[in-house]
Amino acid sequence: MPYEYLEHQADIGLEATGATLEEALRDGVTGLLNLLVDVETVEPREEVAVQASAEDAGALFVSLLNAVLATIDLRGMFFREFRITRAEQVNGRWIAEGVLTGEPIDLSRHAVEIEVKAATYGGFLAEQTDRGWRFRCILDI
Amino acid sequence: MSVKAQVRKIHDYLYEIPPQGRMRVPARLFVDERALRELTEQSSQEWNALEQLKNVATLPGIQKAAMAMADIHPGYGFPIGGVAAFDPKEGVISVAGVGFDINCGVRCLRTTLFRKDLEGKEERLADTMYQVIPAGLGSTGELKLSTKEIDRVLREGAHYAVGLGYGREDDLTYIEETGRLPDADPTVVSNTAKQRQLAQVGTLGSGNHYVEVQVVDQVYDAKAAEAYGLELGQIVIMLHTGSRALGHQIGTDYLPFLDKATKKYGIEVPDRELVCAPIESPEGRQYYRAVMAGANCAFANRQVLAHLVRQAFWKALQVPDTAIETLYEVAHNTVKFEVHEVDGERKRLLVHRKGSTRAFGPGRPELPERYRAVGQPVLVGGTMGTASYILRGTELGMRETFGTALHGAGRAKSRRAAKKAYPADEIVRRLREQGIIVRAHGKASISEEAPGAYKDVDHVVDVMCNAGIVARVARLRPIICLKG
Repeated sequence: MPYEYLEHQADIGLEATGATLEEALRDGVTGLLNLLVDVETVEPREEVAVQASAEDAGALFVSLLNAVLATIDLRGMFFREFRITRAEQVNGRWIAEGVLTGEPIDLSRHAVEIEVKAATYGGFLAEQTDRGWRFRCILDI
Repeated sequence: MSVKAQVRKIHDYLYEIPPQGRMRVPARLFVDERALRELTEQSSQEWNALEQLKNVATLPGIQKAAMAMADIHPGYGFPIGGVAAFDPKEGVISVAGVGFDINCGVRCLRTTLFRKDLEGKEERLADTMYQVIPAGLGSTGELKLSTKEIDRVLREGAHYAVGLGYGREDDLTYIEETGRLPDADPTVVSNTAKQRQLAQVGTLGSGNHYVEVQVVDQVYDAKAAEAYGLELGQIVIMLHTGSRALGHQIGTDYLPFLDKATKKYGIEVPDRELVCAPIESPEGRQYYRAVMAGANCAFANRQVLAHLVRQAFWKALQVPDTAIETLYEVAHNTVKFEVHEVDGERKRLLVHRKGSTRAFGPGRPELPERYRAVGQPVLVGGTMGTASYILRGTELGMRETFGTALHGAGRAKSRRAAKKAYPADEIVRRLREQGIIVRAHGKASISEEAPGAYKDVDHVVDVMCNAGIVARVARLRPIICLKG
């Protein structure tokens, strides 16, 4: 399973795994998008670039999720998909870039689920194994 | 040693885990035996409230104890229902002690209406509230601001909203801190945070946020009820929301900022979410000023929403806005400097309340004159189908919990478990049978926030009252509930 929602009494845990850093980050964002809205109701009309940077890979995961949440408000759009274009460590800083595909919010068509306030460092996990990357954090609902 | 073996009983409603490992102070829980048993059973779960409370007790400069109220449940970093006070010289300020929904809180409006005045008009009022009050993910407010105006919101809080014609001057007297915190600094709030908020002032949000029309169905304390202007059968309105995207973004921005500070000052934290900075460090001061700005945003947001509630009552029932007054507004996710007694000495402390309410006892100068003799109104939100309470702060609470009490029922079930157990349509039907009308923008809000997903609010209130931290004034029963 590329992403998984984990039990938390009040909020929601999100875990993403991938053979590569790119895959794990992409799947984390996909997990987040699927929590917010029924993505099947969102048309892929426009692309919006999103980027994040952090001091370590785990913080990059949290930072990327938060960048996606900010983009939704800033653009007034819901997103259906996320394509990752870059994930690497450059001069000690971890950087991710990608493209969100979606359309302006239309509450008459988009089936909204729940608002996520932020991705937190709660339940934080970031590990690289011989099978790839695994990230985890608690999403504040 | 198992958690159960670590716990020491102080009295029937107070238990303590003495300091162990890196804990600097004890962890104290205002719970009864039943709630304690549930908490210790849950302590095998990865994210559990007892472990989180013990972690808070390890933070530098913490005073007396890391405390949790009866509505305790897991959060991130701090448990919900928690309070922790820090010495300004040795202590820290922490993102997790405030949360991402900075200054989330509850406003209670009392009306001149009684239950009979709403007979047969409930559906019309519910529909109007649904139309007038923007709620749910993706909703925007009618007030569209420029970034310059957002800066004024951040500095002036509810006062700015009143200046724009949202509500009245007399509302401000009955808001904690009168709806404006003076140390707010918009220059330390990012442009992203401000931009995210431009269309979100006056929106409710989703999750556990709500507007509820309620009736006073029991009065326990005639003197306090009179001071609060409450009578049996009276209609009141509670609204629960916070600082919206701006607050969320302040938390998001300051998490890596304080992560760096934690390393810089060599502070060891048992959970990365507990990142913090010394209160008097440049980083700590900056975060504090940003939080104050976020708090002012929440004050303004609730002020605009209170105005929208009045508008809905006018549109649906031609009730004039003068018939709807602010009873009080409390905040749940805050960090503030307050003076409290520690070991017989009056000290200025930085008090973090995470999912808990300030509950000052009688005589405190911070309280409006009208309530000073009886103590602060403490607003306890129930769930869609159960009671809410208006309590009052006590002198014992001032001594025991830095004047802090519970904020709600507290969650008992995870959102996923609730979603599975409570189909939205069935919940709406069942509540309707009880005479409660629910309107929600997202179906998930209904299932995930179903009454069964929460602890028994009557029991949680009993525990806090039996412990003497708060005292009952009135119980409220829901009639209409609007969710995000």
